[in-house]
Formats: sequence, structure tokens, C-alpha cells
Amino acid sequence: MARSATVSQRTKIKRTAPRGFLRRVFKRYKPHLRLEARGDLLVHLSCLLFIRRLAEESRTNAYENKCSIINKDHVVDAAKVILKKSRG
Amino acid sequence: LSHYVKLFSFHAKMPMEKKAVEMVERCLDKYFQNLCNDLEVFAAHAGRKTVKPEDLELLLRRQGLVTDEVSMHVLVEQHLPMEYRQLLIPCAFSGNSVFPAH
Repeated sequence: MARSATVSQRTKIKRTAPRGFLRRVFKRYKPHLRLEARGDLLVHLSCLLFIRRLAEESRTNAYENKCSIINKDHVVDAAKVILKKSRG
Repeated sequence: LSHYVKLFSFHAKMPMEKKAVEMVERCLDKYFQNLCNDLEVFAAHAGRKTVKPEDLELLLRRQGLVTDEVSMHVLVEQHLPMEYRQLLIPCAFSGNSVFPAH
């Protein structure tokens, strides 16, 4: 595997929520609905938990296949499980 | 979206392929779509045109994240930084006033 095709870990992450981005996405899908103040933070929270579950699931998949990097297929398999779990 | 991809690689604790990153973005897109549809249904069911925090709590409950043991405030406390926590969790201040008021 060529080195350039992989993305290594970042050591530093921001914990601030991209609030404007979340509001824009919500408006794009539902232009006729209003999002209450602080609602975007809860949307951020749910995204955070979704990403966390997805990451853990794909890590487990990669581990089972004895891969040291996360493959596309691992993410696809994880997404099937986690998107099913996170239906409203 | 790159913000959430960074979070993904943080939680995965492993290097990942570029294609996997694209896949994560597509999953997030799908997730946003489902989330917006669900919120619309919840708000319409309550006869509102505004999405309120209750709808989000119901969503998290249906996703199995908020349960009887783990309330939403616990999740907020665990995952969000201090300044957002202050906005979301009601807290008593001096003069017997509660912020944010409900």
C-alpha cells in the first residue's frame, strides 16, 4: 500500500461544533422548518455519537480481518449496522 | 464535513484509506438526511413547525443512546465541551434563578 493513499491520525482535534454548518445542512433538507435555539448543539451531539459508534464498529471490522489500516469495506459493513441502529 | 472525518479518525485510533474517508462522508450525508426526516416527522406529530430539544431527545432515545439509566444530560456532559454544556443543562444560579429557563 502506497503511503500517499492512507490518512494517518491527527493528534489534535477541535471540540467546537460547526454550528453554522449544521444549520445550513438542516435548512437545505428542510427549508420550511425552524430549528430551535441550541437545537443545533443537540444535532451535533447526535452526530458525534454516530461517528463514535461508526468508528468503533469499523475498527472492530478491521481488527477481525487482521488489517492494520481501515479499509473502505470495513466502513461499508459498519455503516450498514450503525445506520440501521440509528433509525429514528 | 471534514470536521467529523477528523473525529472519526480520532475515535478509530488507526490509519485509514482515502476511499474509506469518502465512504464516511457519504454515510454522514445519509445520516443527516435520515435525521432531518425524523425530526420533521416528530415535529409534525406534535403539531409544530419548530424543532425543539424534546424532538432531539426523542430521536436519541429511539436510537438507543438515551435510556432510563443514561439521560441526555449525562451524554451532554460526557461529549460536549464546557461552554456548550452551560447552554444546554439547566443550572441554578444565585438569586434562585435557573438558566436556561424552560
